[in-house]
Amino acid sequence: MRKVTRARLGRREFLMGSAAGAAMLSLKGTAGLAQTVQPPINSIPKGATFRWVDSGDQKAVFFKKFFADYAADRGIEVIYDPLPWNEIAKVVPLGVRNGTAHDVFVTPRNVSLADAVAQGWVQPYDEFIPNIEEWKANFPAGAFLPGINEFEGKTYGLPFTSNKRYGTHLLYNKQYVADAGFDPEAKPLTQSEFREAARKITEAGQGRYFGFILGGSQLNRWAQSVRNLARMAGASAGGDSVLDADIDLRTGEYVFDSDAYIAAIELLIAMRDDGSFFPGLMNLNAPQARAYMPQGAAGMILQGPWNIPSWEGQNPDFDFGVSSGPVPDSGPVGKLTISQGGAAPNTISLFSGSENGAIAGDIFHYLGTLEGQTAWANIVGAGDPPIMPEAVAQADMSPRSKQILELFNDQIRVGPNPIVRNGDLAKVIGTFVAPDVNFARTVQGLVAGELTDVPGEMKKLSDNYNASLDAAFAAATAEGAKVDRADLVFTNWNPDVDFAASDY
Amino acid sequence: MQLSQTLYRYRYQYLMLVPGLILAGMFVFYPIFAAVYYAMHDWSGFNADMVFVGLGNFATLFSDPIFWDAFGRSLLFLVGTVPAQLVLSLILAVILNNQLLKLSTTFRTMIFLPVVTPVAVIGIIWTFLLSPFNGPINGLLLNIGLITRPIDFLGSSDTVMPSVIGVYVWKWLGITLIYWLAALQTVPSDVYDAAKLDNCKGGRLIWHVILPIILPFAVAILLISSVAALNVFPLIMSMTNGGPFFGSEVMEIFIYRTAFATEDGSIPRLGYAAAAGVFFGVIMLALTILQSLATRRARRSTQEAGHE
Amino acid sequence: MSDAALDLPRQKRLTGRRPDARIFVTSVLLAAFCVVWIYPFVWMISTSLKSNAEMFGNPGLIPQSFAWENYSRAWVEANMGRYFLNTLIVTVGSVVIVTFCTALTGYVLGRYRFPGRNAILLAFVCTVFIPQGFTIIPVFELLSALGLSTNLLGLTLATSGHAMVVFVVLFAGYFSQLPKELEEAAQVEGVTFLQIFWYIMLPLARPMVVTVVIMQVLHAWNDFLLPLVITLANPAIRTLSVGIYAFKGEQFIDWTGMAAAATISIVPVVVLFIALQRYFINGLAGAVKG
Repeated sequence: MRKVTRARLGRREFLMGSAAGAAMLSLKGTAGLAQTVQPPINSIPKGATFRWVDSGDQKAVFFKKFFADYAADRGIEVIYDPLPWNEIAKVVPLGVRNGTAHDVFVTPRNVSLADAVAQGWVQPYDEFIPNIEEWKANFPAGAFLPGINEFEGKTYGLPFTSNKRYGTHLLYNKQYVADAGFDPEAKPLTQSEFREAARKITEAGQGRYFGFILGGSQLNRWAQSVRNLARMAGASAGGDSVLDADIDLRTGEYVFDSDAYIAAIELLIAMRDDGSFFPGLMNLNAPQARAYMPQGAAGMILQGPWNIPSWEGQNPDFDFGVSSGPVPDSGPVGKLTISQGGAAPNTISLFSGSENGAIAGDIFHYLGTLEGQTAWANIVGAGDPPIMPEAVAQADMSPRSKQILELFNDQIRVGPNPIVRNGDLAKVIGTFVAPDVNFARTVQGLVAGELTDVPGEMKKLSDNYNASLDAAFAAATAEGAKVDRADLVFTNWNPDVDFAASDY
Repeated sequence: MQLSQTLYRYRYQYLMLVPGLILAGMFVFYPIFAAVYYAMHDWSGFNADMVFVGLGNFATLFSDPIFWDAFGRSLLFLVGTVPAQLVLSLILAVILNNQLLKLSTTFRTMIFLPVVTPVAVIGIIWTFLLSPFNGPINGLLLNIGLITRPIDFLGSSDTVMPSVIGVYVWKWLGITLIYWLAALQTVPSDVYDAAKLDNCKGGRLIWHVILPIILPFAVAILLISSVAALNVFPLIMSMTNGGPFFGSEVMEIFIYRTAFATEDGSIPRLGYAAAAGVFFGVIMLALTILQSLATRRARRSTQEAGHE
Repeated sequence: MSDAALDLPRQKRLTGRRPDARIFVTSVLLAAFCVVWIYPFVWMISTSLKSNAEMFGNPGLIPQSFAWENYSRAWVEANMGRYFLNTLIVTVGSVVIVTFCTALTGYVLGRYRFPGRNAILLAFVCTVFIPQGFTIIPVFELLSALGLSTNLLGLTLATSGHAMVVFVVLFAGYFSQLPKELEEAAQVEGVTFLQIFWYIMLPLARPMVVTVVIMQVLHAWNDFLLPLVITLANPAIRTLSVGIYAFKGEQFIDWTGMAAAATISIVPVVVLFIALQRYFINGLAGAVKG
């Protein structure tokens, strides 16, 4: 998803960012630098230029500060480019093709690391971190996985942030929601209450503010919102790769036309018909939508934890609450499923053509130590929580950040990851082409009113995806991969509990 | 022998062609051949897996409803912008061409202002102006009571194309105006005097007296404007990204989206995008030839008229 | 005819006053039209001087207090300064390249008959209207192969290459209608081929040169897709258009800073146009005539 990056650090974040807060400021200078930048683990060539690209956002707040200190200490130049995902999708492949890619990059959303390895985009970094096994042992179990970030015994990806989060929980204007008679902190809103709250807020706003906002031009916002609403309502869809996100891994079948998915879409349509949508929502991207919240223009948004440090830093007066995404009106609340390992979108790798492996190793190493993880957590907070739970525990985070991380612990479970069981599935992912009118577009079309028949469209979607998936399996098989759709079935999976290594 | 003689005889001419041909070869001719080559392959553009599929991409293209929708939208855009742009700017040009109008230059500059503004800026300004939330245009319409609810100009498929068309005409009207003014300067002033004697003015003056004289220009201007109207990528990209739900996806956006697919689960299809581009290019070429034939005919007829 | 003749005395009487009144009314109407026309710019400038909070609270055009810091923020933090310089380099570079190449080519194609001329001219005419969208990938490939895909030189060359065809055709048309005697006289004097071009033909084509310069400036200043793709891998060489678009993508929160950045980006072209508009119109008149 595309998140916002701010070039300007808020005053508060700046203070948080400088090592240990205001007290450290007086020490800034050589002593201050020594605190933030650890001694090098490799010999660093002076005067080198080192480039790094990722999806920025709150990460950029950390990296801009860190790289400045790091570059000064090591006597090198670091160029950091935080870019939105749609640009990364072009920058990285184009850069790899003509040999000018950044030294360290995240793979685009539509290219798995397995793919990148197969295409020769990246190189392993084992040789750049002395005693790498010892260092890797500091990570929580399951952080490094063959087929995910390890290939043929070599380490390619750095999973330094946790996957345990979701991007469609409720963030709300406390005043507006309280005036509407709800308190999501005490009890999560049900889907009906969510709709009712949005309607009442809009009514009270009298055109000055509205109940619900979302970055509607950003297609993946629609897909994620519906998926997570449906998962909580019991549609046990699988992991979070493009392949299996909407497949029930107990049966291996798509769940697009399940009651829970249809009900989730119909909820959004009902809210639209209530007039609860922020006007112009269809033409807002996620950063725009997010920016309207502190302006008091909308009461509720379904978004991710990265909003918390961002608003707390930039809009300290904004009184907002965080809570679970809407839960079903009746029945148990389903768990959300994630894949084992680090957060895929943040997993960084070393460009195969990079000659700065020593620098990358030095930085990767730091990010994988408790010091680095804690420094990260202090600034990035709940937005992209560090992968080591100890770092979360000792980090200096706002109450809202802690609250949302607790919620994630409660609501999120690790599901099976088909690639772990059969690495050849990476080839399927590599050849899989979603239908042109994909899930996200269909939801947008339905909510925008371009499409009308919800069950019919979702059935069609299911069929199209099945055809695409079958084609991908056929193509991968033709290329020699030993794969079968049965590889997507885990009959022993219980979505309510973590799927452990022993369950495979 | 013959060849080298020819080469020597015209050596200066050929030599002077070299810089231009190099530049054109690199950025005009080569890309066209390359695109045709890509169009015959199934290729993501980002790796070495390039499979020859012949005309397969074209077959897929012709049965792709999204492609035809985009194609239709490009034509709609053409029909929606060009006539409005030409007529409105001609009327303004005739008025501004009046020697007695002291402020003519100032007005001309003001109307030209959008032309020199980068499209990305135009897109941003108009997104704000058309916003249904506190946008000035909705504010005005609400205030004078024309509407009771703000219109989501760019967020609803009923209004998105008209809105984009309107902004496009606003952006480029100035350049057409300049073309017309240039054309009007070729009209001898005694024609106006004669018309005045005949008590011929307003629409009749334009239609019966001025238009026949500037007809060759009119065809050229029509041609330039038509082609410009098909190159609307930046404006639509910066205003709507082609949305909502393909609502403003014209050909160029279609090509860009397929060539650089960035959504989850989609893979760039450069070969397919190139096929769409080639098809579109052929249509454009046909359009060009058609219009240049029309120009020739128009010129010939005015020349004949002149000889009479 | 007889009616008109009868009307003549009356009309004569009125010519003293009525045209003036008509001109006045026309002027007022036009002025109103133009004010509406440029309202978006007025709004943009007004917004660029408001604070972000005021932008939502105060719909009026006059800011309560002038927030000049928006400009310094856009210039420094959004890198508008650097983008501005990049755009300037690309614009000036491509204008020089384009004018030189297209004038030469247009001159030869417009004034001489030689084997291959018709084929070349036809090739140019046919490609005038190829949309940019579909040639972008090969262009990028080519620049990559030449090692030019991530620097300003590559961007300048590609920006020059894209629009040149139209100018070649325009130049060819313009040169072809100049009188034949010009060269004949010169050749008698024993002047060389290049000298004829440089000292006689080019100065005569001044209106056309100015037109091409202005059109290329507009093109370079407005171009979007090409710089977008070429600067993807190297944000340091972004142009203003792309920079502002990226501004929208990443930092939309800062509305007023963006309005300031937008204002900065249009000032130079407006000044250029106001300074050169006389040449522009005369040049176009000559060009379209040909």
